[in-house]
Order: sequence, then structure tokens, then C-alpha cells
Amino acid sequence: MLLVALGALVAYFAARAPVFLSSQELANILADFCSLILLGVGETFVIASGGIDLSVGSATSFSGVIGAFAMKALLDGHQNEAVVLAVGVAVCAGVGLGIGLVNAALINWARLVPFVATLAMLGAAAGMAIVLSNGEPVGLDPRAISYTTAKLGPFSYPSLVVIAVVAVAWLTLHFTRYGRYTFAIGSNEFAARAAGINVRRHVVSVYALSGVLAGLTGMFVYMRLGSGAPTAGLNDELQAIAAVVIGGASLYGGVARMSGTVLGTLIINTVTSGLIISNIQANWDQVAVALLIGLAATMQALRPGRRR
Amino acid sequence: MAGQAVLYEAVNVSKSYGSVEALIDVNVQLHAGEVLGLVGDNGAGKSTLVKVLSGVHPPDSGKLFLEGRERRWSSPHDALAEGIETLYQDTGLAPHLTIGANVFLGRELLRPGLLGRLGFMAQREMERAALHELAQVGVEVKGSRKTVSDLSGGQRQAVAIGRAVAWARKVLLLDEPTNHLGARQALEVLNVIRAARDRGLGVIFISHTLPHVLQICDRIVVLRLGRVVRDASTSEFDAESLLGTITGLLEKSP
Ligand SMILES: Nc1ncnc2c1ncn2[C@@H]1O[C@H](COP(=O)(O)OP(=O)(O)O)[C@@H](O)[C@H]1O
Ligand SMILES: [Mg+2]
Repeated sequence: MLLVALGALVAYFAARAPVFLSSQELANILADFCSLILLGVGETFVIASGGIDLSVGSATSFSGVIGAFAMKALLDGHQNEAVVLAVGVAVCAGVGLGIGLVNAALINWARLVPFVATLAMLGAAAGMAIVLSNGEPVGLDPRAISYTTAKLGPFSYPSLVVIAVVAVAWLTLHFTRYGRYTFAIGSNEFAARAAGINVRRHVVSVYALSGVLAGLTGMFVYMRLGSGAPTAGLNDELQAIAAVVIGGASLYGGVARMSGTVLGTLIINTVTSGLIISNIQANWDQVAVALLIGLAATMQALRPGRRR
Repeated sequence: MAGQAVLYEAVNVSKSYGSVEALIDVNVQLHAGEVLGLVGDNGAGKSTLVKVLSGVHPPDSGKLFLEGRERRWSSPHDALAEGIETLYQDTGLAPHLTIGANVFLGRELLRPGLLGRLGFMAQREMERAALHELAQVGVEVKGSRKTVSDLSGGQRQAVAIGRAVAWARKVLLLDEPTNHLGARQALEVLNVIRAARDRGLGVIFISHTLPHVLQICDRIVVLRLGRVVRDASTSEFDAESLLGTITGLLEKSP
């Protein structure tokens, strides 16, 4: 179903604008995909567990800015590149982890519903990213881009890492006990607890995972842009959630598919770049994504046998 | 059961939800190889007592003793680990998971070797074993890969009962297990409970169907508005006096 939709979209845009299938444009779509998919992956776990994480976009921006500060300091101190990159990854992931842990604390102990807790975090992280960077890209480093142009076939090295993470996440969600607990909590939290599952600890880990993946996205975007932009992840939480929902997840929890999230992300990437290539006014892509969410949610509601 | 040691005991247990006093100074003793009936009107506190005994709620005051040792459950996990298994009223299964996943929830079988240590589950074995476990306790379902939401209310109840009975090692707490069941199925459940008792388990059986309670229980505890108002051998009750004790009308009549 999703594959058919994706195929139809690609065919449509290719017919409108043949450049759509050029290798340059495909590389662009791949980079777009990698800038979004990890957010979708984290969001898939969160939504499967019956929650929602609205903070992933601004966590991307914020971790990218902090990571860029750290890498700039190291570059100024003439550290070698491998060290700089490793520290960048660690700092971005660490910042994302911190954001995820704060989300989990707000949900578990301050007893906020996930929507409110992560909405507050969305505002806080986006605001701090802008304040700390004065609204300017941080640590412009022309070499950063070269990391993403070194290639193995059509894939840059960072994109290979992203794809590997997606594969591991797919295995984890659908084949391990961790994934099983995630679905169980989203399906019936009381039943999960009554079966002896430590629900609070699991919820902490799910939001932490989502945060770390947002942090890694911050690093990926840094490498792509060559700087930590305070608006790098603006509105990306909506695209990530849309991808998960298009992929067949239920916002009530208990239902999600990693393969669906991957296809959902590709569909969003295709629509977004297709609209740009077809010279349609830029902000229409947001409208298009909104329409896709509405369509996916409606189809889900109409699907037979789906309860609650 | 005369002469037998107490298996599981609640001593002076109280539990409130905010200003609602759901349990007040409750004392209950459960023996091994005994079915204890727990009856009372809606809101009497039966489910709350079950949740205290199963580790969902810590009591506000009072103590729990398992085999003579005082125990404090910090979560259901602790009680499960001690062989206390519970069927909760209406809420025990995860509807989006398969029957097999529900039967093994919290006790997943892992694959051998490295994959298992990474948390990979032996899904097929669990599905197969789940059907086997359920059949062992007299619950027949076709296809454990069905999700629970595809089952009828009666089938769901059967799976939940089967799971609890299959895993229980010491204590079996059954909160209205015959709800949603047809007459035939309900009688089968009573047989399953008898078999569990004969295995030496201590069983607490909650039901509003008084003939069932009188038929299967060795002893009956009556709760009213959070207090134990009667605790006696089943032979001391008949249908009328049991109903009278539950409603409180018996004492008021001359
Ligand atoms: N989670 C809860 N929060 C607040 N009050 C509750 C809760 N659970 C039960 N109660 C109240 O506690 C009392 C006992 O309820 P319960 O134990 O469910 O009784 P029973 O199972 O005998 O019908 C009732 O007054 C009920 O409204
Ligand atoms: Mg009840």
C-alpha cells in the first residue's frame, strides 16, 4: 500500500520534472531522509508506547548548536578531525539524552501528559538554541561538509551509519523483549505493570532513546550544513510524527511498524523535494504534509477491526 | 482448613483512595489447598484487596505475610516472583498483542546464545507453548497468533484465567473470573479452580454469582464498605443468609 503510494509519487514527479531522478536529486533526497528518519525511529518507539515526543525537532537544533560549540573549541585548539568528530557525536548524543531524560522525568514524576511535557521541552530547547547562538549558525566549518561527500557508492559515510541505526531499531522494536514491552505499555499500561514490567523505567528509556536519536540527527545536520544552525530541526517533529502515522502507527499506542515509518519518511521526503523541483511555492510542502497526516489518520480510523 | 498453616495473610490492612476508605482494618487468611470466596456489593473493596495482595497498591497500614514471613511488595513484579498470580477485573490483557505474547508477558522466552542475550525472543516457541499452557488448564483457543482484540469477551477471559492458573505457584487471585462467560464456560472455570486447589494452591475467588461461591469455596469472607463483616466456613451459609450478610439486611431484621 505505502509502497504503491511512494511509487506513484515518484512516477508523478519524475513525469513533471525529469531532473527528479537525477543522481544529484536522489542524493538530496537521501540526505533529507537521513535528517528525518532517526527522529521518526525514536518517535515510533514513543508512539508505540502510547506517548508522543514533540521535542525532537528542537532537540535536533539545540544539540547541533551545543555540539558545534564543542567542535569549534576543539578545532580552534587544532585537534585532529577524528577526535573532533567523535566529541561532536558524543556531545550531540549526550545533549539529546539529557533532553529525553528531562521529558521522562516530567512525565513520570511531575505527572504531566507526554503532549504537555514534550511541548514545554520543544519551546525550551528551541529558545535556548536561539539564545545561545544569537540566532546565527555556530562554528562554520567547511570541512564538515566534506565528511558527507566522501562516499561508498551513492551513500555517504554518515548516511550509512544512519541506515545501520535504523536497521538495529527495526530489529529491536519487532523482535526483542524491549520492543515487546514497548508495545505492551502502549496497549495497556496497567496490564504491563501487572505482568511485572517496570513501566516507569521503560518509559524513561523510550524518551531517552528518542532524545539520543534527535541528538544524532543534530550531528548529521551539522555535517550536512557545516554548522550548528539554531533552526536546523524547525518543524521536524511534525514531519517525524507524520511519517510514523502514515506508516500505520496508532496515536493511542500499541501499534506501530518500523518499516511503515521508513516508507512514511520517504513519502514525505518525496513530496517535499518533488514540490520544490516542480517549482511550487516553497511553503506548500507543509500543507502537503498536513494533508498526508490527515489522509493517513483517516485511513487508519476506517481500517476494519481497529479498536480505540 | 483446620490444622493447616496459613499460606498468605493480610493483617489489619487499610487502604484509601484520597478520601475514599476502600479497605478498613481488613484481616484475611488464605491456606494452601483452599478456595476462599470473597464477596460483597459493588464498591465493597474486593478489587482493592486483590490489588493490595498482588502488589499493585501498597497498603496504607497493616501487614502482609507470605508463609509466615512479612512481605512488602514494591510492585506486582515482586509478588509475581513469589508465585502469586492474579486475574484482574477486566484489565489484565494487552489487546494489541497476540495471545501468546500476553500469556508470556513479562516472562518472554529468549533465543539461545548471543541473540538471546541481546534480548531476541523465541517467538514461535512462545506461541506454541502458550497454546499448550492454556490447554493444560482447560482453555482451548485456536491460533495463538491472533491478537487479543480479535477475541470475544469470553475468549479473552479464558485466556486471562489460563495465564494466571498456568503460572501460579502458590497463590491465585481471581477477581470476577466468570464475568463475560456463558453458563457452560463458567462451570469449566469452576473445574479449573478446583484443579488448582487440588494442586495445593491457595485460591481467592471473587464472584457475584452466589451459587458458584457456595458450590466451590471452602470458606467465605464477606466485605461491606471496606470492612470484613463475616469470615466463616461455607457450611455456615445458605443462599439466603449469604445474600443477607452481603447486603447487611440480615442483621437489621429482628
Ligand atoms: N483507582 C481508584 N481511585 C479512586 N477510588 C477507587 C479506585 N478504585 C476503587 N475505588 C473506590 O474504592 C472503593 C472500593 O472499590 P473496589 O475495590 O473496586 O470494590 P469492588 O471490587 O468490591 O466492587 C469504591 O468506593 C471505589 O469507588
Ligand atoms: Mg471489583
